Amino acid sequence: MRMTFDQYAHLTSPIHRWEPRLKLVGIAALIFAFAAVSDLRMLMPMLGVTGLLFGLSRLPGAFLLNRLRYPGYFLLGIVLVLPFLSGQTVIWQWGWLTVRQEGVLAMALVACRFLCIMTLTIVLLGTTPFLTTIKAMRSLGLPATLTDMTLLTYRYLYDIAEMLATMQQAMRLRGFRSRSQSKRFRRKDLQQFATLTGTLLIRSYEQSERVYKAMRLRGYNAQKPNLDTTQTGRVMIWDRFGLAASLSTAIGFVVLNLFLTLTPA
Amino acid sequence: MVHIPDGILPASVCVGGYAVTGLATWYSLRQISRQKDPTQDIPKAALMTAAFFVASSVSIPIPPASVHFILNGLMGTVLGYYTFPAMLVGLFFQAVMIGHGGLTTLGVNAAMMGIPALLAYHFFRSRYRLFNHPNARWAISVFGFLAGAIGLGLAAGIFYVLVVITIPSGFDLATERAAITGLTLAHLPLMIIEGVFTAMLMLFLWRVKPDLLERRG
Repeated sequence: MRMTFDQYAHLTSPIHRWEPRLKLVGIAALIFAFAAVSDLRMLMPMLGVTGLLFGLSRLPGAFLLNRLRYPGYFLLGIVLVLPFLSGQTVIWQWGWLTVRQEGVLAMALVACRFLCIMTLTIVLLGTTPFLTTIKAMRSLGLPATLTDMTLLTYRYLYDIAEMLATMQQAMRLRGFRSRSQSKRFRRKDLQQFATLTGTLLIRSYEQSERVYKAMRLRGYNAQKPNLDTTQTGRVMIWDRFGLAASLSTAIGFVVLNLFLTLTPA
Repeated sequence: MVHIPDGILPASVCVGGYAVTGLATWYSLRQISRQKDPTQDIPKAALMTAAFFVASSVSIPIPPASVHFILNGLMGTVLGYYTFPAMLVGLFFQAVMIGHGGLTTLGVNAAMMGIPALLAYHFFRSRYRLFNHPNARWAISVFGFLAGAIGLGLAAGIFYVLVVITIPSGFDLATERAAITGLTLAHLPLMIIEGVFTAMLMLFLWRVKPDLLERRG
């Protein structure tokens, strides 16, 4: 099974070659530094650093746009009210509809932060096979229980989604009305969905019992290391340089943002 | 109610969310490690996490709209102390696979969903102390309804507190209050629907696979 993020994980680029653990720390530091940006003058440098990293990753633009589409619409739905409701300085008015400067600036700040953080998340996860990312997290201290749960959830997510699709198809074949056909709420429909969800949970539970027995027979024990975290890659001088550059940039962003926030424009 | 996406919350709130989530995860893992065989329930928790992830994507038609259930109250009652790690893993996948939530807000979202789920778990268990017949049909219905409604209601409450404390300062106070009150009131019917659905699900599970509700009870 391949996650959609793994689609371009085997390209060749400086970001793809960056040692996974150092890449995880470096890009995560930048992501949190960008989350701390609150001054509008920091937006252009933030977009610049993001654009540089995305360019270096050689990931296709269509891949980025595809990943940004759904959360982007969602964010727009939240921040689009800001220009109309937030602030006092009216910059445009048409009848009762007023656009306020402070709201527009707040929307720009939130939208840019979202764009940069999401793009860096895609660069981080899109340039490393998912299993390698989990190994890197484990070697950086993620507890064994969480690591095993993440790997097993990842392994069975699509199987369970397929199981649900089959069950829903069986319901339709047995005459259950599709969503578009239902005009009014019926308690019986809710009961049918509860039964569907309950059956899905029971089937997953029963499958997990078989999975556990199979794992025990193969020597599974969460207290002992099951995941070889030594295979995440050799650390080269360029990897260290990349980490140093990203950490310095992240610290620079936090310090400069603090300075600009305390200094009047 | 929604998961909070990246870019909305200030960094201090994101870091605070990770601190709360770190503490809750540490507490949960500590409780798990005290079990006789902590490894036994890991595959179960993982597959149930995947199942809850998939089940919460089912669109239920409640005309004139359709709703997605959060199911955090049910998740708490079924997974017990595995709830918080499961919530963290499930929200991580939701953030990276479908862009629902985000990596910087993962801590906040996990705390927002996971703490009410843990409370729902303890609430559902409290019927063993309160009643002589804790597994009577009415007891499971009532406590199932309340666990579902509490799970959603508390998560919605935390969500709106976060929105209020991080809202841009230029917002008109009256507009802000009206919007928050309106959104909070809009959640009351959703709490009732989530509670009814959770109660129906629990009755079904109790009838067909009581192990799921009883094992940690």
